Amino acid sequence: MTLLKVEHLSKSFKALNVLKDVSLEVREGERHVVIGPNGAGKTTLFNCITGTLPINQGTVTVNNTQISGLPAYTAVGVGMSRTFQKNNLFGSLTVEENLHLAINACKPYRFNFFKPINKFTDVLEETEHLLKEWNLWDRRDRVVNELSYGEQRLLEVLLALASKPKILLLDEPTSGMSPAETIQTTKLIQSMPRSITLLVIEHDMEVVFSIADRITVLHHGEVFLSGAPEEIKGDERVKEIYFGGGTLKHA
Amino acid sequence: MKNRPLWLNLVLLVVLAVMPLLLSSYGLKLGSEVLIMAIFVMSLGLIIGFAGLVSLGHAAFFGAGAYTVTLIGDHLNNTYVLLLAAILVSGILAFISGLLFIRSSGAYFLMITLAFGQMLYAIAYKMEDITGGVDGKPVLATFDLGFGAIDSRLTFYYVTAVAFAASYFLLRVFISSPLGKSVRGIKENESRMTALGYNTRNYKLVVYTLSGMMAGFAGGLYSYFNEYISPDLLNWMFSGQALIMVIVGGVGTLLGPAIGAGFFVILQNYISSYTERWPIIMGLIFVAIVLYGRGGIIHIVSLIWNLLFRRKNRDQNMQHKEGTGIDSSKSGTSV
Amino acid sequence: MSVTTLTMHLLNGLAYGMLLFMIAAGLSIIFGLMNVVNLAHGTFYLAGVYIAYYFIGRQFGFWLSMLLSIIVVAILGVLMEKLLLERVYGKELEQVLLTFGLSFIFADVVKWIWGTSPLTLPVPSGLDVSADLGFMIFPAYRIFVILVGCMLAVLLWYMENKTRVGAMIRAGVDDRDMLSALGINIKVVFTCIFAFGAGLAGLSGVLGGPIMGMYVGIDSEILISSLVIVVIGGLGTWKGAFIGAIMVGVVDTLGRVLFPSFTMAMIFAIMIVVLLIKPNGLFGRGAHA
Repeated sequence: MTLLKVEHLSKSFKALNVLKDVSLEVREGERHVVIGPNGAGKTTLFNCITGTLPINQGTVTVNNTQISGLPAYTAVGVGMSRTFQKNNLFGSLTVEENLHLAINACKPYRFNFFKPINKFTDVLEETEHLLKEWNLWDRRDRVVNELSYGEQRLLEVLLALASKPKILLLDEPTSGMSPAETIQTTKLIQSMPRSITLLVIEHDMEVVFSIADRITVLHHGEVFLSGAPEEIKGDERVKEIYFGGGTLKHA
Repeated sequence: MKNRPLWLNLVLLVVLAVMPLLLSSYGLKLGSEVLIMAIFVMSLGLIIGFAGLVSLGHAAFFGAGAYTVTLIGDHLNNTYVLLLAAILVSGILAFISGLLFIRSSGAYFLMITLAFGQMLYAIAYKMEDITGGVDGKPVLATFDLGFGAIDSRLTFYYVTAVAFAASYFLLRVFISSPLGKSVRGIKENESRMTALGYNTRNYKLVVYTLSGMMAGFAGGLYSYFNEYISPDLLNWMFSGQALIMVIVGGVGTLLGPAIGAGFFVILQNYISSYTERWPIIMGLIFVAIVLYGRGGIIHIVSLIWNLLFRRKNRDQNMQHKEGTGIDSSKSGTSV
Repeated sequence: MSVTTLTMHLLNGLAYGMLLFMIAAGLSIIFGLMNVVNLAHGTFYLAGVYIAYYFIGRQFGFWLSMLLSIIVVAILGVLMEKLLLERVYGKELEQVLLTFGLSFIFADVVKWIWGTSPLTLPVPSGLDVSADLGFMIFPAYRIFVILVGCMLAVLLWYMENKTRVGAMIRAGVDDRDMLSALGINIKVVFTCIFAFGAGLAGLSGVLGGPIMGMYVGIDSEILISSLVIVVIGGLGTWKGAFIGAIMVGVVDTLGRVLFPSFTMAMIFAIMIVVLLIKPNGLFGRGAHA
């Protein structure tokens, strides 16, 4: 069944039309990757889907609930969470504290102000579980600003995972990573359970083709093509967009 | 290391309890004033240091508490009811004003809270029939917790000491609670908090309301302490002084603002007995702190502390700063 | 209230509004461009009127005293910006602390030198008459103030929209980095703007002297009204400051007559309504709210 449905979405900044009549469907369990050259509107699309930016036209539906027009914080409530292209963390807090915040967001006791957060055992357990799974457990006491870039990039994903989303929007999860880190991260993404649907923006074509079930090409704010990886790979026009005729490899 | 807050708290309690042995009668009075101001300034420190809401109208809530006790106290002499009323009235004021202001941030928030405080000031100033206008009003209610009227300075000192300790521990728990941590997260990175699913405006509103209630509580105590109130308690000058006390003491810490309050109340008392030019001296202190202060008294103290006792484990200190909230909040004020 | 009295109050309000405009304009542009809430801006008003009082007392005459006062206040502004404010750009709390402290110091210095009893400036000769407007008699000096305010507004509007300096300022309010990208020396621009704003506030002080008198405490009254005007009008726009100042001036003057206890509350209510409808103020451009 369709988990995320974007219909006729348009977004403009003053006279500049960044997204034009974009429609997109992501099925449950799918790994859907959005590609496109710089300036195609990919991040803006994410911002519009999650409500970070108000949209001019169209609708966004998650799990049969229409969320377009609602404030950004409601996205998590319907099971959608996201990461950012540029690390967007709590830099002066520790890794553990970062996760506490992420986990606390959906707890019924999030407004509690008379009991320390580290007395809530479920928060502690979930933190431990996630950190161990993502190999950051030994970093838990570190202030985030002191982590390596790759570790911060992982934490970026981890924070989004903490709310146990049905659909996760990853905005260039491997951007800026070393080749080794990229491989590791790709593996982690591949190993995510199918109960989490993924919508991913990615530039690195090796990563794209190793995770994607389906690819949407965005060009000049419009959906240029959408299809299975093989179709995209073989499409001459897509190569044209990217390289003016080169081969479809590292972007 | 981990129980540093614990023994710090114990030291605090002991100091509060032993103080009267060292103080003269006048010193006791000054001590009570310091503690009441400390509660007020801590409440402001909470929204500035932990939520990043820089208000220049916090005296509005202090004054509202003071006027509540005084005005209702003319008709009803029950300390519990009056203090509760002070907390409630300030809380409601804070809630309503917060509802309107909290979507503004940075300098805008500052100006709007300033104007709000001045509005209350002007009303208290102009409504002479009820408030006594510029001349102010004597406080008729007597402080009585059910054991007879408390009028000795020593007893009242202990009352304020208990009130201060209670407020401090409440805040200590608050900043480590889910709500307190969330507020801190919002200050640190609001956009991420929103992405994580937090309706950040609600969190700010709650902490703003709580802070207003605490300021109102301090104001209520102040009416009993001073036995006379005037519109100056609502004035932006007073708000500004409280803001200064927060900054002088150390933004982003709990005890810092309280220390700042003590520093200023005592200094003002001392200097005023020598010269009328206290405002100039205070102004010069402000300027000096901006140019040479580097984060307030508590930072200087903790720096010296670390130099003396913590040389070996500087690494751990870096983390520890986190836990106690002594940290980089200075740079985090956004516009 | 008869039509004549109402007109009189409206004109009085307009005159007061013009004085506020001169302060709020500087405050707004300093805030919009330099992102500094200058809590010592009322001090420039205070300094303006007392310095003029000093010169008038030395037989310099009103107009020369006005000129000298404006120059002194502008220099004061330059010193303040160069010696102190420059060190705290981008640090909001520090700015508040610094400018608040300065306003304390200056208010107390004035108190020290001139005492606390209210003083007043004489109305300049030639304008100390009543003008016959046909349907009513009104002090000529106030009409003069209104005219000066309007002329200033036109001048500033012209500068903002038709000159290179204005274009620079507009660009700077929208995007501060733009200025340096254009190869403009920001430091010089900031100093000039600050001096200009200070001078305007000084002018307002001198012109306001004969109408409002002078006393310690008027600086904070004026400052707060101006801050409200900036919030109502929007950041960094002369037009916003002008419209906002007239609104506040008129409401304040009428309010003092009609319901003295709630004047400030009314002004505040206007601010709230404006904020709820337009979070950036009536003519605000920036995304500051």
